Amino acid sequence: MLRNMFFYIKEAFLSTKKNGIMSFATIISLTATLIIVGMFLLISLNINLFLNEIESQLVAIAYLKDDISEEDINKLVQDTSELQGVKDVRYISKEEAFQRLREDLSEHEDMLAGIPENPLPASIEILVTETDFLEEIAFQLNQYKGIEEVNYGGQLTKNLILVFDFVRNTGLAIISLLIFISVLIMVSVIKISVHSRHEEIEIMSLVGATSWFIRWPFIIEGFLKGLFSSFLAVIVLIKGYLYYMEKIRIILPFLNISSDQIILIRIAVIIILSGVFIGIFGSMISLRKIRYEEL
Amino acid sequence: MIRMFHVFKTFPNKIHALWDVNIHIKKGEFVFLVGPTGAGKTTFLKLIYRGMLPSKGQVIVDGVNLARLKTSLVPYLRREIGVVFQDFKLLYDRNVFENVAFSLRVVGTKNAIIRQEVNNILNIIGLYHKKNTNPHLLSGGEQQKLCIARAVVSHPLILLTDEPTGNLDPETSWDIMKLLFKINIWGTTVIMASHDKLMVDKAQKRVVRIERGEVASDTQKGIYS
Repeated sequence: MLRNMFFYIKEAFLSTKKNGIMSFATIISLTATLIIVGMFLLISLNINLFLNEIESQLVAIAYLKDDISEEDINKLVQDTSELQGVKDVRYISKEEAFQRLREDLSEHEDMLAGIPENPLPASIEILVTETDFLEEIAFQLNQYKGIEEVNYGGQLTKNLILVFDFVRNTGLAIISLLIFISVLIMVSVIKISVHSRHEEIEIMSLVGATSWFIRWPFIIEGFLKGLFSSFLAVIVLIKGYLYYMEKIRIILPFLNISSDQIILIRIAVIIILSGVFIGIFGSMISLRKIRYEEL
Repeated sequence: MIRMFHVFKTFPNKIHALWDVNIHIKKGEFVFLVGPTGAGKTTFLKLIYRGMLPSKGQVIVDGVNLARLKTSLVPYLRREIGVVFQDFKLLYDRNVFENVAFSLRVVGTKNAIIRQEVNNILNIIGLYHKKNTNPHLLSGGEQQKLCIARAVVSHPLILLTDEPTGNLDPETSWDIMKLLFKINIWGTTVIMASHDKLMVDKAQKRVVRIERGEVASDTQKGIYS
C-alpha cells in the first residue's frame, strides 16, 4: 500500500509538471475563487456580529416630563415591565443622564462648561426582545400623561436587518455558484491532464492496473492543487483582512470588526477544506469511468 | 488456452469485422494470424484481452468466459496476457528500465523483485547496457524488443503481438522472431498477427488465415498463402 502511495504521488507530481501551464492556471483560478469565498465569509461573519449587537440593543426610550411625581414613575416602571416583549425596564434619573453625558464627553469637558443647569430629562429605558414589539410598546407608553416622547430605532433596525439578510443570502448564492464553477474548472483541467496521459492510462489498463490504481494519481493531483490553492488563498485573505481591518478601525471606530483568532482560524479551515474538496471532487468526476474496452 | 465459439463482431457502422469464428488454441502453441489489412486480425486479438466484447458468441481464455467476466476483474485477466503493438506505445518520458518496470509497478510488485525481473529480461533482449537510455534514442527494432520485454516481464500465460515486425528490415525482424520463439519455448502461448510473408514461411508454425472476418484456412506448419 505504502509502495503504491509512493508511486501515485510520484505520478501526480510528474503530471503536474508535464501540464505546467494548465496546472498554474488551475491553481490561480482556484485561489481566486477561494479568496472570494473567504471574503464573503468574513463579510458575513462581521454582519452577523453587527446584527447580534443591534439585536441585543433593541431599546425604546421614554422621556419623562419634568413635573412627574415619584409615585407615577414607580407605577410607570411597574406597568411597562408587564407589557409583552419587554425584557427589562430601567429608570434613568436626570442626574444619571447628565452623568452619562459627562462620561461620554469626557474628552471634551469644556463643552459642558457653559451649561448652567442639567437640561436633560429623566427617562425610562425599555429593553425589548424583538423588533416586532417595539411599535406596540411605544404606542402603549404614549398613552401615559407623564411621558413627553417615546423614541425607538425600530424602523431603522428592521431595515438594517433586511438589508443584511439580503447581503448574506446573495453572498451564499454567489459562493455556491463560485464553488460550482471551480469544480467545473477542476474537471476540465483534470480531463486535459487525463487526455495528455492517455497513453500511460492505456498502457496501465493493458498491463492490468485496476481502475483505482489508475485514478489515484489524478485524485492526488487534484488534492495537491486544492491544498496549495487554499493555502495561498488563506495567506492572502488573512494578510489582507488584518490590513484593512486596521484601516477601517481608524475610519469607522464605532464598527465592531472581529479580529478573533479562533474565528479566523475557523475560516481558514473552511477555506482549506473547500479547496481540498473541490480538488478531489473535480478529479473524481472527470475520472468516473475508466474504459477497459472499445465498443 | 483460448477458445472461440461462433464469434461475430459487428461494429456500430454495420461493418462485420468477424463472422462466425471458431478456433481452439492450446497452451504453449505458436500461432500466426495472417490475412490482408482490415481482415479482422486486430479485432481477433482485442477479443482475447477483452479490449472488445464480441457481438455474438463466446470467447474463453484460460477457462474464463470473457462475456461473463466482471469489469472489475478485467485487470486480473490482463495480467495473464502480454500485448505488443506495431506502434510500440512506449512512454517517452521515462527510461528503458522504467518502461519495463511500469507493468510490474502498476500491479504492486516489490522494488527488489522489479529490479531483478527487469534486469533479467533486459539481459535476454540484449538491452541491459541501455537501461538508462530514453526509448526515443533506440532503433525501431530495439523499441520493439523493449515492448516485448514489457509485455513478458510479468510472465504472462499468453503473448499477443500485432504486426511486431511490420516496420522492420528482414534481419531485425528475424531477431524479433527468435525472441518470440524463445518466449514460446518457456511455455507462453504466442499469437502473432502478421502479413510478413517471409517470416511466416520461414517459421513453420501454425497459420490461421483470416479473410473478410472469416477463418479461411488453419494449417499446422503452414505458409503465408
